[in-house]
Formats: sequence, C-alpha cells, structure tokens
Amino acid sequence: MTITKYFHIAKISMRNVFAYKADVFAHSLFIGLIIFIFINLWQVIFIDPNNAIEGFTLTMMIWYLVLTESIVTSFGRLVEDMGNEIQSGEIATKLTKPYNYLLFQYSQNISKSLFRFTTTFIVGALLTLYFVGPLNFSLTSIPFIIISVLAAITLHFCLMALISTSIFWLEEAKAIDFLYSKIVFIIGGMFFPLEIFPDWLASISAKLPFSYIAYFPAKLFVSFSLNDFFKVFLTQLFWIAVIITLNYVMYKFIISKVQIHGG
Amino acid sequence: MSIKTELLLILQYFKINLKTAIEYRANFIIQAGAMVLNNCMWIVFWWIFMNKFESLNGWDLNGIFQLYAVLMVSWGLASMFFGKKGYIAQSIAEGKLDFHLSLPKNVMLHLLHGKASWLGAGDFFFGLMIAILIYPFSAVPLYSVLVLCGVVIFASIAIIAGSLAFFFKNAHETSRTMLHSMVIFGFYPLDIFHGASKIILLTLLPAGFVASVPAMLLQEFNWPWFLALIGATFTFAAIATIVFYIGLKRYESGNMMNVRV
Repeated sequence: MTITKYFHIAKISMRNVFAYKADVFAHSLFIGLIIFIFINLWQVIFIDPNNAIEGFTLTMMIWYLVLTESIVTSFGRLVEDMGNEIQSGEIATKLTKPYNYLLFQYSQNISKSLFRFTTTFIVGALLTLYFVGPLNFSLTSIPFIIISVLAAITLHFCLMALISTSIFWLEEAKAIDFLYSKIVFIIGGMFFPLEIFPDWLASISAKLPFSYIAYFPAKLFVSFSLNDFFKVFLTQLFWIAVIITLNYVMYKFIISKVQIHGG
Repeated sequence: MSIKTELLLILQYFKINLKTAIEYRANFIIQAGAMVLNNCMWIVFWWIFMNKFESLNGWDLNGIFQLYAVLMVSWGLASMFFGKKGYIAQSIAEGKLDFHLSLPKNVMLHLLHGKASWLGAGDFFFGLMIAILIYPFSAVPLYSVLVLCGVVIFASIAIIAGSLAFFFKNAHETSRTMLHSMVIFGFYPLDIFHGASKIILLTLLPAGFVASVPAMLLQEFNWPWFLALIGATFTFAAIATIVFYIGLKRYESGNMMNVRV
C-alpha cells in the first residue's frame, strides 16, 4: 500500500529515537532551562501572582510557555538538517527512491517530534508545577487541544519544508534555520501571548501562520472554548493546505532543475 | 611554548579561516547577515516586552542594549577565534585529538582554534554596532578588557564542558547544552534571578560574568565587581586547563579514520 510505507518509516524513526534517548532528554533539559528563566522573569513582572495581565495570570503565562516551547522546539533543527541534505547533495539519493520526499521527511520526523514534544512538555510541566502550581483546565478540553497541537506541529513542519527550499539558492542552512526559528519565537507568540504585543503588531501576527503554531494552540490550552477551537483548527487546516500547495509548486520547480546521474 | 608564539598561531589560523570564508563570499555574507537579523529579533523581543512593562528590576531597554553590546561581541569573538569550542567533546569521542597530540603545539589551545564559526561574525558586528551607538570613546579600554574576559570565560567553559567526553560517553550534546545555556542565560539581566540560581550564574555556569556584570561595570564602575570578574576569568581558565589535562591522561585513540579538510 502507498501510505503504509510512510507508517513504516515513522515506526523505524521512533525506534531510532529510543536508541538515542539521551540526545532527546538533553534537548528537553535545555528547554527546561529556558522555562526556568521565564519563570524568574514573569515572577518579577507578576508582583501579585493572582492578578492578571491582559487576561493571563502568572500560572497561565507559564503553562502557556510550556506548551509553546514544547510545540515549537519539537522538530529540533529540521531546516538545518534538510538544508544540509540539499547542500551535501544527499537529497539526490532520496529523490530517486519510490516515495515522495516531503512525505518521507514528515514520516521520518513526526515520530521524533512527538517524542520530543512529550519529553519537553513533561520536563516543563514538572518545573512549572514546582515553582508555580497547576493550571485550572477542563479534562474534556484535552482531546481538542491534542488535535490543535497535532495541526500546529504539522503546520510547523510544512513551513520548515518551505523555508528549506531557499537553501537551493542561498546554500546556507544553519543561518536560515536560526532566522526562521526567531520569527516563530517572536512573531508566532512563543515567548509571550499576542495580548502583550502592541495592537498593530498583534493584529499582523494573528493573520500570519506562525501564530497558529504557537500562540493559538497555547491560548486554547490555558483558556479553552469550543468556539475558539473550531476557529483555530479550521484556520490551521487552511494554512496547512496553503503551505502544502506552495511546497508542491516549489519542489516541482526545484526538482525539474536537478540532474541526477547514476553510478 | 611562549604566549607570543601561541598568539601568532591563533592569528595565522584566523587569517587562513577568513581567507577560506571570503573565497565563498556570498555564503559568508549570508551567514553573518542572517545572524545580525537573528539578533535584531531579540531586540524586537525586548522592545515588545519593555513597551508593555517599561523595566525589569531596574533594567530598561538601554540596559538590555548594554548587555547585548558585551555579550554578542564576546561570543562573536569566541566563535571566530575558537570556532571548535562547541565540538571538543565530539573531537575527543571520535579520536580526533591524535592530530593535535602529534604536533609541537599546546594541545588544548590548538584544539580550540582550528576552525572559525562565521555565524559569530554576525554576532560580533551586531554587538559592535550597539556598542558604538551607546558607549562613548572613553569607555573603549574598559569595554575591551571586559570583552576579553568574556571570551576567555566562554573558551574556558567550552573546554570544561567538552572535557566531560574524557570521563563520560556521549558528552557531546551535554557539553553543547552547557555552552549554549551560558549564552541563553546571558541574554537576561542577572537581577531577575535570586537565591541559588543567581549563585549558580556566577559560579558553575558563569553567564552573569559574561554579560550582566560587564554591563553593570560599564554603567557604573566599581572595584569589587571588577576584581571579581578578573578573578573569575583566571579561575575558570585555570580550572579548564586542569580538567582538560587530567582528562587527556585518560584519552585513548580510536580506530576511526578521520579526514582533515
């Protein structure tokens, strides 16, 4: 079956993750450090932890950050990895295989991403529980939040795949990866919610796909409503469709320029 | 091995690495330019934050600029001159020390400066731009000393972290995490931390000494903190040397074939 092979790719990738667990845990501990810094930062701002700033209490702000960090950092340095394949020419060996390159990358990386997301969320949650306390949320919202997080991770992958096409021309993977990640961190609302932004910037950010990776799923997590879920999820699907289309067009154009010689 | 010959070697390596980088001019410009843009995003972050909250325990946006002016230049110089600082553990694990052991040069320093990271050039130029905008010319001598201390501390922590590979398997990610944590913590004023975490940031992971303390000294000089910084610089350099050479006694070459390009 055509789709089954991608499932097997994902399964093999998950086995690889368990073989190199230390790397993933080191990454999650690093994100834990970031969360610790922000706990300190927000504790300075929230002089009274029970007061809300733009509708966010201290507890909500930190749990917001835990989810955004877990989503955004789940793919690691995927742009750099895909870029290095392009720069080194290793992509040529993959283009000759009987699978779609982007679907292969997605299958290979989604299992790693979900594992990383889980470990990072657990580390962040433990830290937050210790320093700040639990979040009040309804258990019935969990399935909806999971769906939105999965859509956010998929959108994140699609954008990373699109960004990595620029490496065919720029030939510099690491720097492009850094730049993309900062755009998601800041404009996507990873560090703080759009309510903290000036109105004009919040309005621009809300219209861009980056905020549907970080801000909107995390906002659902700390302040859930079914109405908001449907709006967010449908917009995520819209952006996924748009970016997939752009990816299809870009890769079709690029592949037409690539020549692969056997031997 | 005299200090002068060692410094000349560092300079020679830098020249060769720079010539190599300039051979691929577009790549060099893209790397440096992207890092400048990357750092500008951090300024956007702080602008959004300070626009909302005005100050953070006495630190305003100008204070944050001062932090970046020191941190980015120190980190940028450390990356350009000691580009292998993030790969020491990997080099040890893969048996790449053999090359350095066979040469009549200081192994520890030779390991550090065999490569340049030109992403650091973007950090350096960005930090330097900020420094030129905010500091008067009279601050140059003190600024230079503080930046040099930052470079030495970064290199020392890189050596200590990388030397974990002499004692533990798979220390590469852990050592890179330690090093990057220094930079990440350096981005934030020391005054937001309290208690044990503040002590850790001035001892085990001296991020305070590469950013907040120098920025504080440039705002208002005081001898106790200046001497503490100088003392910390020498202490970390000494610890790095001791840890590296104790670890080196445990080093065993592997069978892996390595190509030096």
